[in-house]
Amino acid sequence: MSLTLKGHAVAPGVVIGRVHLAERNELEIGEYRIREQDVEHEIQRYRNAVDAAREQLNELAERIHPTVAVPAVEIIQSHVLMLGDSKIRKSTEIHIREKLCNAEWALQSQLEQVLSEFRSMDDEYIRTRGEDVTQVVRLIQSKLSAESAGKPFENIPDRLADTLVVAEELTPGELALLHERGVAGIVTEHGGPHSHTAILASSLGIPAVLGIRNARNLLTENSTIVLDGGLGAVFADPDAATLQRYQEIQLDAERFRQSLIALRDQPAVTLDGVEITLQANAERPAELTQSVEMGAQGVGLYRTEFLYLRGKPPDEDSQLEEYLTAIKVMAGQPLTIRTLDLGADKSTGELDFSQLRRSTNPALGLRAIRLCLSDTALFKTQLRAILRASVAGPVRCLIPMVTSVREIQLVKELLNEARQDLEKRKVPYDPEMPLGAMIEVPAAALSLGDLGRYLDFVSIGTNDLLQYTLAADRGDEQVAHLYDLQHPGVVRLIKHVLKVSRKLEIPASVCGEVAGEKQYTRLLLALGLKEFSMHPARLLEVKQIVRQTHVSAAREAINLWLDDPGGHDDESLLQLLDASQTNP
Amino acid sequence: MISRTVTIINRLGLHARAATRLVNCSSQFQSEIIIQKGTRSINGKSIMGVLTLAASPGTDLLIEADGADEEQALESIIRLINNRFGEGE
Repeated sequence: MSLTLKGHAVAPGVVIGRVHLAERNELEIGEYRIREQDVEHEIQRYRNAVDAAREQLNELAERIHPTVAVPAVEIIQSHVLMLGDSKIRKSTEIHIREKLCNAEWALQSQLEQVLSEFRSMDDEYIRTRGEDVTQVVRLIQSKLSAESAGKPFENIPDRLADTLVVAEELTPGELALLHERGVAGIVTEHGGPHSHTAILASSLGIPAVLGIRNARNLLTENSTIVLDGGLGAVFADPDAATLQRYQEIQLDAERFRQSLIALRDQPAVTLDGVEITLQANAERPAELTQSVEMGAQGVGLYRTEFLYLRGKPPDEDSQLEEYLTAIKVMAGQPLTIRTLDLGADKSTGELDFSQLRRSTNPALGLRAIRLCLSDTALFKTQLRAILRASVAGPVRCLIPMVTSVREIQLVKELLNEARQDLEKRKVPYDPEMPLGAMIEVPAAALSLGDLGRYLDFVSIGTNDLLQYTLAADRGDEQVAHLYDLQHPGVVRLIKHVLKVSRKLEIPASVCGEVAGEKQYTRLLLALGLKEFSMHPARLLEVKQIVRQTHVSAAREAINLWLDDPGGHDDESLLQLLDASQTNP
Repeated sequence: MISRTVTIINRLGLHARAATRLVNCSSQFQSEIIIQKGTRSINGKSIMGVLTLAASPGTDLLIEADGADEEQALESIIRLINNRFGEGE
């Protein structure tokens, strides 16, 4: 008989597959007393267990790094931090010493104390983090107990295609492993919409329904079930009509996916024969790999901020290592390295920051190239690393937030100094490495005719260009609606940049978010854009629109609109552009 | 000892990933790092401490650093927070 089970909808997608019930050995935590002379031995046993747990987590993080989305690794890193946190580590040791009890029990007592602290929080998201602490403590306890030393999920098959794993709960590590083995979907008894299992399943694209109580008793091993992740429902013993309905949904989704995959090796050419270059915005190894898989023609924006947010600024060699890895993954496709694009924050310890905050505006402050030109030692280290990387593959250097010709001249002087440093050290570099600028300050866009003479390419950073041109922060809900690519002022500004760069014969691309939003692809094509750089996951959708567009018809439509942008009340610019395609 | 007040501006506040990055950053320095929210103060090198601050966007935090590398430590932490923990644009 058909049975519908409802849970939390956390990761969309439809799966029809077979059930696999994942069993885990429950740990029995007992308390026993230890002798005073055995205290040091017990503490050592505890420390060994923590080290073993840490090793397991680190190994897991390393193994999944290139193939799985970044959140999985970061969640595992947060578990590694919890392992070493004084609230667990030191307190447990003190507990063993003072109460003369075994490590398992001391740990359990600490867990309950920490959990009560988490449970008392008002914030539901933070309350949920108690689950993470529990998972970490369980891991240590499993390392302590010889009888459960076997890995959980040993009985999981290597290949999980068409399999839905049903478990009491899943740790981030376990979920990453299931993903690696190709699991089709997951169902758990515990875990809510804010759990890490939910966040991970969604970021890994695994259809999932969480929080179905008794799922393991209600579902039978090997039976066929339907999981609707968007609905948060599981259909056990589905009737013929339900099965057929979901088979059709699956078929449609598969057809759409196949049509996109088929585009991978197709050229990005418009219906009237304009060749378009589609590149990726990427920095992490997983994104770089994805870029290659999606057929990106290089990386149009490789951000380097992550190198500087780990603590101390990275030295030349460690930067070079990151760049070389990226070059290797891109296998001969160009890599556009953007120099540091961070906001400054010199802390003298004497300034009252609350006052400073009132009087300054960080978006208009000392950031990006302005910061780099004020800290030339920091900047030259990065320039040397980029120059050194340029001999390993096609590297382009991109300068963010340029406003004036003077800034470009200063960058060129520093580049020359960096080259001389390398020559003295007899380290090779590519003397022809192209130098480009992000066009994101309206003044730079308007004076591109002057700036462009000193540049080999430009990249329009639409995120900031829109914010500065429209004087609207899209992160501020009250004015976010003003942040609009279809504003005539913005449209004219981008058109101007593309026109001037054509005249100067330097390539121009757009690397802001709008480049990957397919509703804007036709608008950008109409303005004369030929290079797009976007998140790799968006490449094929955008390519599809490119291949369905007559640029000349779209250009005519946008020029007509620009004659009188206010005179088309009934239809938006995007609608007019789409309409222009019906009878080109 | 030096200190500064900073406002949490990233979209999600001090959630697990941001807290992980903050603790990783603090732990690189020898200085002691204390973070205060209102009357509550926690060790900036403790993930559990940072999480239980439950600092949502708009929260003001007082960051204190005390030790040989306090200036660099404070600067790095403030930079991380002001750059939204590197969560993209």
